[in-house]
Amino acid sequence: MTSSPLAGEFSVELSGRVIRHYRYAEERMMRTMGGWIALTAELPAKLVLGRHVWDCAQHADLWGRRLPELRAAAQKSEPPNEAFVRFMDLLERPEDRDQTVERLVGVYRVLKPHLVAAYERHLERANPVYEPPTRRILERVIPEERRHVAAGLQVIARLGESPRVAEWTRRLADALAEAGGVTGDGTSPALVTIDVDGVNTAGDLVALDSAFDVTKVEPDLRGRVEAHGRALIEGDAAGIAADVAPDARDAVLGAYARLPRGANATEIVGCARLGAQRVVKTRLSGPPGSVVIQQRWQRDGAAWRVVAADVVGAERPA
Amino acid sequence: MDRPIAYDKLARENRFVRMRARDVGELRVEQGLAPFPDLASPESIRERVHGIMVGELQAMEGAGRSVYDFPDAPWEFTMDMARQVWDESRHVEIYLALIDHLGGYAGEFPETTILWRCACAEDAAARVAGVNRGLEGLACDVFAQLIHIAKKIGDPVIERAVDFVLADEITHVRMGSRWLNELTRDDPERRRRAVEFQDSIDERFNLGGARRDGAPEEVGISIAKDARRLAGFTDEEIERLIKSTQRSPVY
Ligand SMILES: [Fe+2]
Ligand SMILES: [Fe+2]
Repeated sequence: MTSSPLAGEFSVELSGRVIRHYRYAEERMMRTMGGWIALTAELPAKLVLGRHVWDCAQHADLWGRRLPELRAAAQKSEPPNEAFVRFMDLLERPEDRDQTVERLVGVYRVLKPHLVAAYERHLERANPVYEPPTRRILERVIPEERRHVAAGLQVIARLGESPRVAEWTRRLADALAEAGGVTGDGTSPALVTIDVDGVNTAGDLVALDSAFDVTKVEPDLRGRVEAHGRALIEGDAAGIAADVAPDARDAVLGAYARLPRGANATEIVGCARLGAQRVVKTRLSGPPGSVVIQQRWQRDGAAWRVVAADVVGAERPA
Repeated sequence: MDRPIAYDKLARENRFVRMRARDVGELRVEQGLAPFPDLASPESIRERVHGIMVGELQAMEGAGRSVYDFPDAPWEFTMDMARQVWDESRHVEIYLALIDHLGGYAGEFPETTILWRCACAEDAAARVAGVNRGLEGLACDVFAQLIHIAKKIGDPVIERAVDFVLADEITHVRMGSRWLNELTRDDPERRRRAVEFQDSIDERFNLGGARRDGAPEEVGISIAKDARRLAGFTDEEIERLIKSTQRSPVY
């Protein structure tokens, strides 16, 4: 290797090809994150995806606009190989309501740190005399991706992880390694921890700590709802029936008949106002998992009574 | 992931209570309330703001789906939708903060999903016509009115924050007009179907007579003619909308 300042590792052709690979990764990641927003329940996760879609779209756009300057077609994405397509297919797969952490881990623990490593490697090798247009893009994209990683990891930490997630991370990293990474040549590690110390994520994180506050429920209603939940757990038919408005009894008890058995705990998880009525959500949980019941309560003299009830969700055990 | 996803896959934390719009309206009427929160009391303002917050959530979710669902649309279309995702994520943040400001909490009122259903149209042209012109047009009406009320009750926090949101929504309507035209340039039949879809949404969000041409403090939702003109609606379109509100049955 010569020490001339004009020595370089990338040809125009190679540079164009690698940029198409970067664009493929950014574009597919961006579309996938956009599609996931609706499927993701947790507000901080939903909103962090919403924040980052636009940044990633701009990254794809910057790469796409650089291409014609390298004698290539503008705004073209190209995967490095079929194995990378399979990696992205796998990353996109978790779409269930309880797979938010799997979704975030794929993007924020596997793909984005890998991209940062690959971009940094590229920046170290891009010639400072004739490749500044590429370097400028890398210098913008690297800190943004690093900030995304820092924010995403904070959301993951807040949501908590199960052993399932470690296994998922390994599967994704294996698939990415098999593809040889975003460049296809195995020059950047598939699973890498990047330094996010001191990165400011204040603008990326919304509602990180927000949760339902049970004190928002009027105390007398709260007491009634909790007692009703205990009656449901204990199968106290008389106690349950006493809380239900007489003309709603058939419908409400019919809904309760569909509740799975085995719950040993009850918790109010939501409460909405509908005029003078309250729509309260209660989770019944136990070893077989949990269910959420949505009940509409109405004052009847001094007492609150259930006038409608529905099972609205079920969760498997973590 | 399916393209598009089934509308019932929309995911929410447990603290949000989801109900059918019709049920909410009927239960309110049964209790002697207007079917939709007016802006006459602090609680009704809070309820309106809460409804807007969940509308912003659904707008973000819908724009995100448009990024995913139409990989073959022009790149510039995807860029506009991605930008809208970011804007709507800020709007959610703003309205969450306004709910705090008004002493409420996320989940304090039921969420209905009629906006989201509109965002599930299969054709990109219909979706931008319905969402970016129909629903974002509605947002212009609602926000202009909220700004007016905020001025009247002397709440500069609401006034300033919502004014920035309104500026964004005007931009989103323009995006919708651009893509409705570009995506249907050589396909009048596709355009006709998209415009028809937008009309059906406008009709639906006349909310049984709640949206009308009138002073902000006098009607349920007042049509924001100035904001709509800025957003690129023609005078003819605005007139057509006003006519359609006169046809809508009272709830
Ligand atoms: Fe918005
Ligand atoms: Fe919008």
